[in-house]
Amino acid sequence: MAERRPKIIGFCCERHGMDSAVLAARTGKQFDASVRLVQVPCAGRVDGIHILQALEDGADAVFVLGCLEKNCYYDTGSIEARKRVEYVRQMLAEMGIEKERVEMFNAASTNAWAFPEIVAKMVEVAKKLGPIEEGERR
Amino acid sequence: MKAKIQVVLCKCCTEIPSVLRLESLSKLASESNNVMSVMTVDAICDGKQLAPVMNDVKQKELDRAVVLACHKKDVSPTLLRAYRRAGVNEFMVELVNIREEVVLPHANEPERAQAKAEAKLRAALARSLMLQPLERQTEEMKTRNVVIIGAGVAGQAAAKEAAKAGAHTVVLEKSGKTLKVPGVVMQHSTLVGAEGYGGNLKLKIRAGEKVESLDAAALVIATGGGWTQLKGSLAKAVKDAVPLYKLNEQVQVDAPIKGPVVVVDSPDPSGKTMAVQDFAWDETLETVVELKKKHPETEIWVVFQEMRAFGLSELVYKEAADAGIKFIRYDKGGVPKADPKNPGVLSVRDFSQGEQLNIRFGTLAFASIPANPDNRLIAEVLRIPMAADGGIRRGSIQRWPVSTPRPGVFVCGSALFPKSREAAEAEGEAAGAMASAFVKRGTIEFGGVVAEVEQEKCSACLTCVRTCPYEAPFIGAAGKAEIRIQACQGCGMCVGICPSKAIELRNYTDDQIMIETRTLLGGDF
Ligand code: SF4
Ligand code: SF4
Repeated sequence: MAERRPKIIGFCCERHGMDSAVLAARTGKQFDASVRLVQVPCAGRVDGIHILQALEDGADAVFVLGCLEKNCYYDTGSIEARKRVEYVRQMLAEMGIEKERVEMFNAASTNAWAFPEIVAKMVEVAKKLGPIEEGERR
Repeated sequence: MKAKIQVVLCKCCTEIPSVLRLESLSKLASESNNVMSVMTVDAICDGKQLAPVMNDVKQKELDRAVVLACHKKDVSPTLLRAYRRAGVNEFMVELVNIREEVVLPHANEPERAQAKAEAKLRAALARSLMLQPLERQTEEMKTRNVVIIGAGVAGQAAAKEAAKAGAHTVVLEKSGKTLKVPGVVMQHSTLVGAEGYGGNLKLKIRAGEKVESLDAAALVIATGGGWTQLKGSLAKAVKDAVPLYKLNEQVQVDAPIKGPVVVVDSPDPSGKTMAVQDFAWDETLETVVELKKKHPETEIWVVFQEMRAFGLSELVYKEAADAGIKFIRYDKGGVPKADPKNPGVLSVRDFSQGEQLNIRFGTLAFASIPANPDNRLIAEVLRIPMAADGGIRRGSIQRWPVSTPRPGVFVCGSALFPKSREAAEAEGEAAGAMASAFVKRGTIEFGGVVAEVEQEKCSACLTCVRTCPYEAPFIGAAGKAEIRIQACQGCGMCVGICPSKAIELRNYTDDQIMIETRTLLGGDF
């Protein structure tokens, strides 16, 4: 059988987050197909339960991508999102799941290399850690 | 009623079929539940191709659509309007960005791209079935007033520009100075209260002894900087010191500059009344290097407590030092001072050498300038954020550079941070133009994707009230949270944070988000 491909979910705000992904694509960057983007209006819409449910549903890693904190379209959305991601990471650690599986990123819409780097980083994490062991999953 | 979905596959001319097999996407779509029609078009962004798509919608009385094309922002406005005219609510149209999310970045792996596109289609179909039709509402603006706070360079420019564009301007000026600006000028007046939202703001203004109410459609903050209210020992001792932006301006226009030139980081080196601003170091370097280039004979001193040579500024620092500009570091024990009786001499203890220096100067400039102390009150009244250095903080650059995070409230000039007259004037014009464009719409549009409180669940904990950046949630007469939808921007920040799970964001509910996630994870690629 071929090498198992990781599954990664990226919750992505429709402002700078999505714009940075689109710009990367339009400037010809190629990145791993494992990332599945779920668009939300603002990174601050993402709730811990979305992240946990994604892991439960088979994601090896999950990231949230929002605007730069000082340039967030909804002002405090990406700051709020970071707090929630941090909270989920702590919960995971307590449950014995590697917290590296969940990460918060910020990107500017004008930055074409940010998104491919994020993808590369998460793919690396997912490949290193592999799927979450059955016993680990709630 | 059973959902009836139309699926549209856009070729983006030839780009999408060059990687994906559209026939199999089309087959997948037509075999899915509730899909009544599948169409393939060459370019949905081409208005001419909309007609057959919309005819199909009308004929089959479809109520929702899934469109696989490119990035939302490029396709949406015209497309959504067309759907609306054909009888499909625009919030029931699910746009899938197949071009930038799949085709372009995975062009080298067509097999995986195909599987990913199929997963995206499935997820969109699942989401489509859960979408609710939403309505945007409009509210008339009760007035066309653009209120401008401050009648300095930026404020006057804003008033002129807004008036030119047909807005009715009201300028609030703190002092009694008479002004030649269009519209009404209220002397001795300050803003003391504000309610409502951009478009329909109710302001309270103290004018002299009285407090008056004033309706405003848009607001421009042009309070200016705090140069006229300069505090600090050094500022008091050297009356003819200039702000750094002034020095920079003189360098740019080749005005005569009396040497030697000294740039001190702050008018208050002991740091009692203000902190050194972030940009002080970089702007100082830039200015002195240029000055040295134009006038190599001028002796230049840069007196800073902290030299932040990192990144590119390190190179400029080196360039400046090589050119003979003298850098003096001081610490709290030997802050720069001047004797008011002998104001042409700056005495400072060089921290690295430990020696006391007396620098004779012709020009003294301060790199940091305090923000206007009025900003704090204005920010509080309007509930907009401030920057760490006391300026008004602008909103995201995607909302334009002279916007605050609140729609309809603009900011320009040194109220943001200290800047030259020219820059302040240009910003004032921009803010005036934006404000008048805002009021010219005459109505405010709101609704659609907004938050909604299920009141039975609400425990009136105020978390949403504190979290929302737009003051949309409030505790209503029933003692439960309500959303002022005119103010709600639909970010959804309040949803996840509500401890009672009482809030929902329309068309971005937990279920909708999680179904999409699950379906995407179901694909194997
Ligand atoms: S956060 Fe939730 S429970 Fe608290 S006031 Fe708002 S709606 Fe009510
Ligand atoms: S969705 Fe955003 S703007 Fe609307 S009430 Fe909630 S936090 Fe405020």
